[in-house]
This record gives sequence, structure tokens and C-alpha cells, in this order.
Amino acid sequence: MQPQEEKQLEASVDAIISRVADLKSSLAAFILKLENEFERMNWPSVLDNFALVSGQLNTLNKLLRNEKTPLLRNQVIIPLLLSPDRDDELMKLTEGRVPVFSHEVVPDHLRTKPDPEVEEQEKQLSTEAARLAPDVAQKHIQSLNKMCSNLLDKLNNTREERESESGASRQNKQTFNPADTNALLAAIGFGKGLSKPIRPTPQGGPVSSGQPVPGASLQGGPNIAQVSIQSGSNQQGMQGQVPPQQGQPGKMPSTIKTNIKSASMHPYQR
Amino acid sequence: MEAPPVTVLPVIGGTINMMEYILQGSVLDQSLESLLHRLRGLCDNMEPETFVDHELVFLLKAQQGSPFILRARRSVDKPGLPWHLRYLGQPEIGDKNRSALVRNCVDIATSDGLTEFLIEMGFRMDHEFVVKGHVFRKGIMKIVVSKIFRILLPGNIDNVEPLSLSYLVELNVVAPPGQDAVSDDMKSFSEQLKPLVHLEKIDPKRLHQV
Repeated sequence: MQPQEEKQLEASVDAIISRVADLKSSLAAFILKLENEFERMNWPSVLDNFALVSGQLNTLNKLLRNEKTPLLRNQVIIPLLLSPDRDDELMKLTEGRVPVFSHEVVPDHLRTKPDPEVEEQEKQLSTEAARLAPDVAQKHIQSLNKMCSNLLDKLNNTREERESESGASRQNKQTFNPADTNALLAAIGFGKGLSKPIRPTPQGGPVSSGQPVPGASLQGGPNIAQVSIQSGSNQQGMQGQVPPQQGQPGKMPSTIKTNIKSASMHPYQR
Repeated sequence: MEAPPVTVLPVIGGTINMMEYILQGSVLDQSLESLLHRLRGLCDNMEPETFVDHELVFLLKAQQGSPFILRARRSVDKPGLPWHLRYLGQPEIGDKNRSALVRNCVDIATSDGLTEFLIEMGFRMDHEFVVKGHVFRKGIMKIVVSKIFRILLPGNIDNVEPLSLSYLVELNVVAPPGQDAVSDDMKSFSEQLKPLVHLEKIDPKRLHQV
């Protein structure tokens, strides 16, 4: 055998061994799970295990189909020496499952021919397939393809419908209102929507700074305070005119500004 | 009259300027129960803590620039607790990818004479409101679900009406500056509250345009 082919063969056999070992371990884990925890198992976790096993089988198949894999079909395994003695090397290699490389073990492990019943069935199927005319066979193939695609479409459609349905039903139960968020934050941020307090007249001169600087955030706030300092006698009137009914934030400024204009004629106004 | 940004301030003496990282959202009244259940499950195990606070916001008008704002809060349901005075700076404009709003924050506990003191200093009370709600904690994160009440007659705490049909939900962390990893933790926590509440960083300047 060419050395390159030898190397390839060895590499692919190693890869196959590792994949099969993975498969074996996941199957063993699955069986353990089923035996010990079957009361607590639920369908999705069983599906997960099946998916894992199927994935591993897939990778194994891909590996076998890989173009780098030499045709294993062309290799033949011949037992060279059979002995009824225990073989420790073999024990180690097979994890204790095959203690003896003897006449009973070899036919089972090195078998390549399928069982007689299986062979019979296969022969039947192949004669039947040969009997079919090629165009009939083609028609069969086409109908099979069509049925498969129909089924796939149906499955995909129901999945999409289900997702849109659940999305729609969730939309109906709105659990928060973004407008409310903004209103609340405006209220605690700069007092929008909260009734502005009327400060009682202080004893000394004007306490707050001179010019009312109307920042956008203080819509009419400072103006009220200014006016209340200077128009002490009008205080009662002001209180009545500041309506506490601010149902919507933002309605406040208009009502208050008009009040200010009427009340702000005071000799001491700065 | 804003405090200069943290990067400019030297660290003098023992005070370190803390930053508050905050994410805000709201939840409608009818969904409050499910939110509280979820928070009780997600957050640290402790007795559910409710609070009723009365907050007064004081302004100091400057000749130019925006006014200086201080917030004084006192507990209504737990008398005997000190007043809490808080300064919150402008949100730091930094990394757009940072998921939380970051602003400078200074918190002080004070005695009962706070309002008189502030008025003597020249502050003027701009507005006040009552906050009632629940507090949850998870590690260093604090989650506050509260309802804001408008005070109808100034000075009268009992006569209040709710401001809206929603509860305000705030997730905040107070930490030394520079710890941006905190905002990633906050983001992952806020993901767990979806779709009940969407916690996001809401720029206060945007609210002015509402």
C-alpha cells in the first residue's frame, strides 16, 4: 500500500473512532437519564437528547462520505491468530467488553454479510426495482418529491402562523405605556404636571434673584413666585387661580401666564 | 451653575464624587402585580420594603445658565429617619454604547431643619410630590417601583392624587466614576424584565420637548 494511502487510512480510522466514541457516550448518558430520572424528564429534554444523537450520526456520515476517506470497502480484515486465552491488550482497547479473541467472538465482530433474512428482503426489493420501467420509476420519484415539499410547506406555514399569533396576542396586553414613562420622568425631573406651590410672602426683601429667567423647564414657575412676593394682597386670588386640575402635563403654562399679566402691576416690581 | 464634570474636579480630602447609573421605565397599574412577583424572584431575598416619601425640589436661580437643583426627600411612613438631600448633575455625554444614563450624584443625610436652611440660603422650592412604592435590591443595584402623587394643596401631604395610571420603575446604581461595567450588568438585568417593562436610558433633555 502506498504510504500516503496508509496515512489517510489511519487518519480516517482515528476520526471514525473518535466520532463513534462521542456517539457512544451520548447514548450512554441518555440511557442513564432515562433510567434514573424518567419521572422528572419532559419532552423537550428528550428531544434534545435525540437531536444530539442524530447530530452525531450526521457527522459520522459526513466523515464517511468525505472525499479524503479512502474506500473502506476495499479493505479486508482477516484474523491472523485466534486464541482462547485472555488478552489484556484487547481488554484495554475495548474497555473490558471483549476479553478473548476466540472463535465465538470473531464471527460476530468481523461480520460483513447481513443476516440471511435481511439478505432475502434486499434481494426481493432489488428484483422488484429492476422490474419497474424507467419512466414509471421517474413518475414515482416525482410524486414522492412533491409530497415531501407539500408537507414541508405545511409545517413551515403553521409555524409562522403560530408565531405571528402569539406575537399579536402579546401586543394586546400592553404592560407599559411609553407616554406615561415620559410624563412621570418629566414630573420628577422638573415638575411638569405638578401643581406649583405658592410661596408665602417672606419677611425681608426679595429672596430670589432679580430677573425671572424663563428656562424651558420652568414654565411659569418663577413668574408665579415673583408675583406672589410682590402682590401680597393678591395672594388669595392667586391661589384660587392656580387650578389643581392639571390632568395633562403641559396645560399649565397657558392658564398661569394670563394670570400673571393681570396681577403683575406692582410698584415694587423689578 | 452646574457642578463641573467629574473629570475636571480634583479629588479633595475625603469626598469622592459618586456617579449614578440609571435606567428608567414604567409599568401600567394592572401589570404591577406581575412585575412585583418577577422582581421578588429575581432580586435578593429580603422582606418586601415599601416606602412613602415626600420630595421637595429646590432651585437656586443663577444670573446665567441653568438653575442649580437640589432635591430634599423625607420619609412619611417612617418618622425619625433623617432627611435625604441629593444633587444630580447633568447626564454625562460619553460612550453612546453605554447602556445606562450616567450622572454625577451627591447624597447627604440631614436633620429636620433642611427646608428652612435651604430657603435662608436662597433656594426656592420649585415643586414637590409624594412617592409611594416598593424597593428591591440585587447586589449593588437598586430597583424602585413607585407611584408619583401630585400634592393638591401645598403643605398637605394627605390630599394627593396619582399623576398617571402607571408606576415608575427605576434601576439605579451609585458607584465611583469609571466603572462602566456596571451598566452592562444593569442591561442584562433589565433584559430579564422584558416584556413587562422596558428599562432604557431616557435623556432628560428630550423630555423638555414633550
